[in-house]
Amino acid sequence: MSEIISNNYLECLLKSWSIKPTESISWFNNLRNQAIDRVSTQKLPAKRDEEWRFTDISPLARLPYQPSQAECRLQAHDIEHLCLKEAENRLVFVDGYYSPELSRITDHTALVAGNLPDFLSTHSAILESHLGQYAQYEHNVFAALNTAFLRDAALIIVPKNTTINEPIHLLFIAAQSEVTSYPRCLLVAETGSQVTIIEDYVSLQKATYITNSVTEISLAANAHVQHIRVQRENTQAFHLANCAVSLARASNYQSISVSLGSRISRYNLDVHLTDEAAECVIDGLTLISDHQLADTHTCIDHIKPNGTSHQQHKCIVDGSAHAVFNGKIMVRPHAQRTNSSQSSRNLLLSSTAQVDTKPQLEIFADDVKCAHGATVGQLEQEEIFYLESRGLSEAAARNLLTYAFGAEIIRRIPVTSLRQQLEQAVLNQTQSNE
Amino acid sequence: MSAVLQSLVNQPYKHGFVTEIESDIAPKGLNEETIRLISAKKNEPEWLLSFRLKAYQKWLTMTEPEWQNVHYPKIDFQAISYYSAPKPKKKLASMDEVDPELLRTFEKLGVPMHERAALAGVAVDVIFDSVSVATTYKEKLAEVGIIFCSISEAVQNHPELIQKYLGSVVPVGDNYFAALNSAVFTDGSFCFIPKGVKCPMDLSTYFRINTEGSGQFERTLIIAEEGASVSYLEGCTAPRFDTNQLHAAVVELIALDNADIKYSTVQNWYAGDENGVGGIFNFVTKRGLAKGNHSRISWTQVETGSAITWKYPSCILRGDNSVGEFYSVAVTNNYQQADTGTKMIHLGKNTRSTIVSKGISAGHSNSSYRGLVRIAPTAEGARNYSQCDSMLIGDQCGAHTFPYIQVRNNSAKVEHEASTSKIGEDQLFYFSQRGIDAEEAVSMIINGFCKDVFQQLPMEFAVEATKLLSFKLEGSVG
Repeated sequence: MSEIISNNYLECLLKSWSIKPTESISWFNNLRNQAIDRVSTQKLPAKRDEEWRFTDISPLARLPYQPSQAECRLQAHDIEHLCLKEAENRLVFVDGYYSPELSRITDHTALVAGNLPDFLSTHSAILESHLGQYAQYEHNVFAALNTAFLRDAALIIVPKNTTINEPIHLLFIAAQSEVTSYPRCLLVAETGSQVTIIEDYVSLQKATYITNSVTEISLAANAHVQHIRVQRENTQAFHLANCAVSLARASNYQSISVSLGSRISRYNLDVHLTDEAAECVIDGLTLISDHQLADTHTCIDHIKPNGTSHQQHKCIVDGSAHAVFNGKIMVRPHAQRTNSSQSSRNLLLSSTAQVDTKPQLEIFADDVKCAHGATVGQLEQEEIFYLESRGLSEAAARNLLTYAFGAEIIRRIPVTSLRQQLEQAVLNQTQSNE
Repeated sequence: MSAVLQSLVNQPYKHGFVTEIESDIAPKGLNEETIRLISAKKNEPEWLLSFRLKAYQKWLTMTEPEWQNVHYPKIDFQAISYYSAPKPKKKLASMDEVDPELLRTFEKLGVPMHERAALAGVAVDVIFDSVSVATTYKEKLAEVGIIFCSISEAVQNHPELIQKYLGSVVPVGDNYFAALNSAVFTDGSFCFIPKGVKCPMDLSTYFRINTEGSGQFERTLIIAEEGASVSYLEGCTAPRFDTNQLHAAVVELIALDNADIKYSTVQNWYAGDENGVGGIFNFVTKRGLAKGNHSRISWTQVETGSAITWKYPSCILRGDNSVGEFYSVAVTNNYQQADTGTKMIHLGKNTRSTIVSKGISAGHSNSSYRGLVRIAPTAEGARNYSQCDSMLIGDQCGAHTFPYIQVRNNSAKVEHEASTSKIGEDQLFYFSQRGIDAEEAVSMIINGFCKDVFQQLPMEFAVEATKLLSFKLEGSVG
């Protein structure tokens, strides 16, 4: 029965595929066609698939939403509250479509930033070698769908030895209801470059819709990329995201992802350390309540020697929410002297909250230092008592401790205004319990 | 350094001989007839035959699992002989009537089968291929009301206990290999400790596979009534054959209020040669039910043998304040594969569990820890601590960790830690400047690494395990 539903679901989606080929660029059309072929041979994942064991997306299969339409009626003042004052450069996508009116690129000389179709002819060679090369869609039906519907996409190319001081804000706004949108990002950081991007998913109204996003990031040798990802869609939305990162020699990737919204969200982050001495730091915070489900799957793949990875993932779960974390660290044969640490910490605030965590190590080299840890628990009675003895009410004490638990991750965000917004979001969440 | 480790690892398997003994072997293949044959040979009551047939029907509907992190050629279940017993099959009255060839076998293995060997102070049940050949100290145990015998004897003499408890912890359709075992199990140990009795000596079962082309499917059932306690040991060896043999056992433990069961295993089945040819497929289902309040079940295992080890001794902590423990050392070398770990299912209030798992991989081997800690919504105040450490010797082997943590109650506290390391040059240097050579240093480091687990073993077993480990890894460092 469920198979019938899922195949129908994919068929419905494919039928709605009506993108006209971009004539002159054959590789681009081929990429989309291959992705369509892959979609038609796959099934929607079910709970019996190990990767989706704890995340039941069957509600999604009942919503074969049409792709969103390009009909942006938003004015600059509608999104003013969503803009970050530090971010000089801003690319805005509404329901997956680029909105040049709302976007702002001040830096035309130092970097390439804009909508993918505008650069297809001028940067064809570089795009061909990166686009669709990292986010594998052979076995991932959602990445395949996104690639099949690939049209507008945020494109950033940071040239060699260029440092972009101001963060670049990629704002993905959902405005329509009962549609599926396919946001896409590609960041190419060339040798020795340095950049910070903020990938931000927001909704303007409470409505049901599906976001299926794919982000690809390529770091050439010695590149530094800081990637901040915020998912704050409304609690009726579905959010399915894939992010693939490729690190070359001695490059450095730092990621902070904060997941607050959506009824069901799933974030797959795959980081490949493809050459020696690459480094990554991956932090995550999930803060959910009511009937939300947030699933984070990360895979850090150490392919070459001397790599370093550090990961910390925290979940704060309230109400009847359900948090899932699966962190895989792979150390391939010959990836000697890898240093890797991972910690998964989970705070359950209510008796009906659920956590499934699986920190996973797969190690095929002997000269390595790998450790992981996981904890699940509630707030310490003694800590609450200590604060109460200092005159705080129990509720205030609990909120303070919960806030501190989440702030450890949020504090690492280098963009002040965004950090304040997120701190406020954590406070709002905790104070709603009082 | 690698030369010493090399020679440490490559110690030959010393239990690889075959005993020339006449056996009664059932024809190869599995069908209802085979099951009826086994049941008839063992003179079993009707309910047990229907238990077997039910399991067989269930097994036919199941498919061989593939999720585990081990790789092996498909097993041809029709090419296995499901029954092999040493002849003659007449009832043995005392130890002296046991085939002298058999006694010599166990003497070679160092198993104290003679009651005269009272020094060892352990009661032993010996399973040869599929059938229990001897149980020692039976009378002495009977004085305090303990029943310790082979499971086929228990079926004849205590059918009410078997009928009540068999399959109550591991149901017939639990998993593919448990279903197979339930259909064709031939013998095993049965142990019943009545209310309030502390078992005066360690009980032990010794398993030996002898016949080529046979599979061993034994079944162990241990019941500890209110306030009872028992420590149970299990050891296993097999001869060296080039073909793989299947060993699919089921062990069920039941602990009632305030009961305490400690189950220790030293598993040293033939592991195959240095090219990975031959060896035992050790696919075992072990599960303990801490049914009563304040009950305790503790698993300790030292896994050194088998081409493939695949087992997860588990605890279902149903009683309030019940305790589950799992201590494991798994050593793999050459082309061995081990996927082992535990499941701790917390159902009762204030249940506690501890998991300590140590994996050592050398050669081309792979070892995985796979564990599940599940806190049910009813498990108020449950507590778990898990620690799993891996050590790699050489750059061709792999170590993997798959801990599943599922928490459904916010008053629970769950902690998990894992690390991977190797024997460092600086550690060996430190030893050598104290005048200790590399080989001895490695042995000491490994014993230190496994100390937390060895401490849990009864003394004789701990000595054996330490020796086994240094044999096993002889030549892998240097």
